[in-house]
Amino acid sequence: MAIRNYDRKKCNGCGICVACCPMDVLRIDTAAKKAVIQYPKDCVACWGCESFCPQGCFDVSPERGRGELVSPY
Amino acid sequence: MNNTDKLGTVIKSDVLVLGAGGAGMCAALKAKESNVDVLLIDKCGIGWNGQVPIGGGILAYVYPEYAKKWAENVTRQSNFFNNQDWTFAFGNYMHKSTMDLAAMGLTFLKNKGDINILNWGPNIYVTLFDAPKSLVALKKTAKARGVKMMDKIYAIDLLKNDGRVVGAVGLGLVDGKTYLFNAKAVIIATGNCGYMHEKTYSSVLGEGPAMGYRAGAQLVNAEFGSSYVWGIKTLGKELMGIHFYLYLENARGEKIMGKHYPELMVGKHSVYTFDPRVIDAMQKEVKAGLGPIYLNLMGLSDAEVAGLAEDRVEGLTQLMANDTMKLLREKAGINPSKERMEMWARYLYGGGGLRIDINGKTTLDGLYAAGSASSNSWSGGGGGQGGLGVQSAAVTGFVAGENAAKYAGENSRLDINVEQAKGMIDRVLNPMKHKGDVDAAEVAYRVHEAVVPMKYNRQREASRMKEALGIVQDARNKLSRVQPRDFHDLARYHSADSMVIAAEFTYSAALMREESRAGHFREDFPQRDDKNWFKWITIEQRDGAPLLATLPVPVENYRWKP
Ligand SMILES: Cc1cc2nc3c(=O)[nH]c(=O)nc-3n(C[C@H](O)[C@H](O)[C@H](O)COP(=O)(O)OP(=O)(O)OC[C@H]3O[C@@H](n4cnc5c(N)ncnc54)[C@H](O)[C@@H]3O)c2cc1C
Ligand code: SF4
Ligand code: SF4
Repeated sequence: MAIRNYDRKKCNGCGICVACCPMDVLRIDTAAKKAVIQYPKDCVACWGCESFCPQGCFDVSPERGRGELVSPY
Repeated sequence: MNNTDKLGTVIKSDVLVLGAGGAGMCAALKAKESNVDVLLIDKCGIGWNGQVPIGGGILAYVYPEYAKKWAENVTRQSNFFNNQDWTFAFGNYMHKSTMDLAAMGLTFLKNKGDINILNWGPNIYVTLFDAPKSLVALKKTAKARGVKMMDKIYAIDLLKNDGRVVGAVGLGLVDGKTYLFNAKAVIIATGNCGYMHEKTYSSVLGEGPAMGYRAGAQLVNAEFGSSYVWGIKTLGKELMGIHFYLYLENARGEKIMGKHYPELMVGKHSVYTFDPRVIDAMQKEVKAGLGPIYLNLMGLSDAEVAGLAEDRVEGLTQLMANDTMKLLREKAGINPSKERMEMWARYLYGGGGLRIDINGKTTLDGLYAAGSASSNSWSGGGGGQGGLGVQSAAVTGFVAGENAAKYAGENSRLDINVEQAKGMIDRVLNPMKHKGDVDAAEVAYRVHEAVVPMKYNRQREASRMKEALGIVQDARNKLSRVQPRDFHDLARYHSADSMVIAAEFTYSAALMREESRAGHFREDFPQRDDKNWFKWITIEQRDGAPLLATLPVPVENYRWKP
């Protein structure tokens, strides 16, 4: 799992994480004004959401979400 | 409601810009200066999207009085293989582009009120800007100037009428709507193909060149630009910092750089993460059975580790290296001073793109391209100058924006051709009828097996490249068993398809080019061959299949001759 932790309580619904996510993993629940992890399996662990979230809601694992990394050799 | 409205939500503008990264944002801002109606769309949320906000904030700079000499140097370094008109224009534009970006709201590192122009090497200059906030600042200006913007729209195909590009099809990722954009001119600025491999490069997946190709536009230089950097295996991320190379060792604990490049061990050198010599040494060691390669910083204090990243330009790579060390400690539980770390060569992205002329126009009327989605054949680089990625996005964006607006001003609108649009939408939505349980990501991972290994993509050789193409074909076969359930999945499907196309084009062009030049190295044709290969390779759709052709470098029309 690439997003190790998401602290929903801290989320203010600003939408920055949704905006930066290159994989369309995150969405805003407009009624609750909170971010939701809609497509967790597509996270590539780019750390975008973690570095830009003003509330520090995310903890993303250092490894890639899934899929063995192909050896470059 | 007319027939087009039945196909989807129709939105009209004069200029439509696909992709709001460095290039798309600059294109939209510049187009708007001509007072036309501009619509900018992105699959992410504009302001935080693409590679610029997560990037290093380095912007290449050339003093106006040095621009001509700069262009000449680049031309000589690339053995006259570049498009000299573009190189010359680019060199001349860099100062203006930097000033324009500042006027548009980009925050630069300043010195006594002026943009600080930093010397990075002999005649190499860069400026530094606040990357995380850069697009938010430009967006604010774009909004104030009346640029219209739409978030979370995934662009996938172009609409044509009478041979002219008249718009694009987009998928509303959040609202699930199909959009038909109708414009007088379209600019593709969705980037090149990062294959979702190096994770911080995952925003660009090849749709732009692929949709241009399907519409009939020419691509160029697909065999060039595939690049590798070195980085920490667990993090899947490159390591910035110019002295780390001194601490690379093989499984036996022997320092590897001194073995292959003794000259780098005497005196002070700056060896960047994209320096090919490091990748060479790593590859040689692994080939000799001495892998894996480690970075051994054991026994160094935190301050000493930080010192290794100290650059000629203060703060340049140091911040990035410190970030990486922090990530290692806090996220991966690795203490760089206490254990050695396995290092890997990391594939970044494939090259080439839509062929553009000096006005940013592609080979199709009404279609322009900018940024890494385009290729203006000035390959060969600027002598190791950093910051060219963002600067060329800005300059090609400004140029395409200006000329697309001019075209839109001079030409009347052509409606969407209903029949063509219907066929297009059928093609785009059709995968949802597939049956199967393959995840689109599996297709992408299969493509990685063909593009990432250096035995295929760095030390190229005919039979191995054919093997790689076989893997790509297998990935393509898997695609037919991907069954998207919503527009999110459908976008993932089309991204996987675009990656397959990018890999096919890279290897087809690389197989055709039977010589070695710039970043394209053929083990079976190790020499540069100007007699037979002083030409660019173009790719164009002909009778439903890619046709590869060559275009002699028109050096007789250029300023500098070999
Ligand atoms: C980690 C990192 C560090 C970097 N550091 C530097 C640096 O310091 N200096 C430098 O000069 N260069 C740097 N680069 C390279 C530089 O960022 C790129 O060369 C430059 O941003 C390319 O501009 P672009 O507009 O073509 O692509 P991008 O800026 O990536 O923009 C492409 C946009 O298109 C959108 N898009 C993609 N596909 C679609 C689609 N199908 N539909 C709709 N929208 C789509 C994306 O969401 C994105 O917003 C760095 C890159 C990375 C990843
Ligand atoms: S960026 Fe942070 S605060 Fe803003 S919506 Fe996302 S999780 Fe919530
Ligand atoms: S780490 Fe990157 S890919 Fe994963 S959810 Fe965050 S922004 Fe998206």
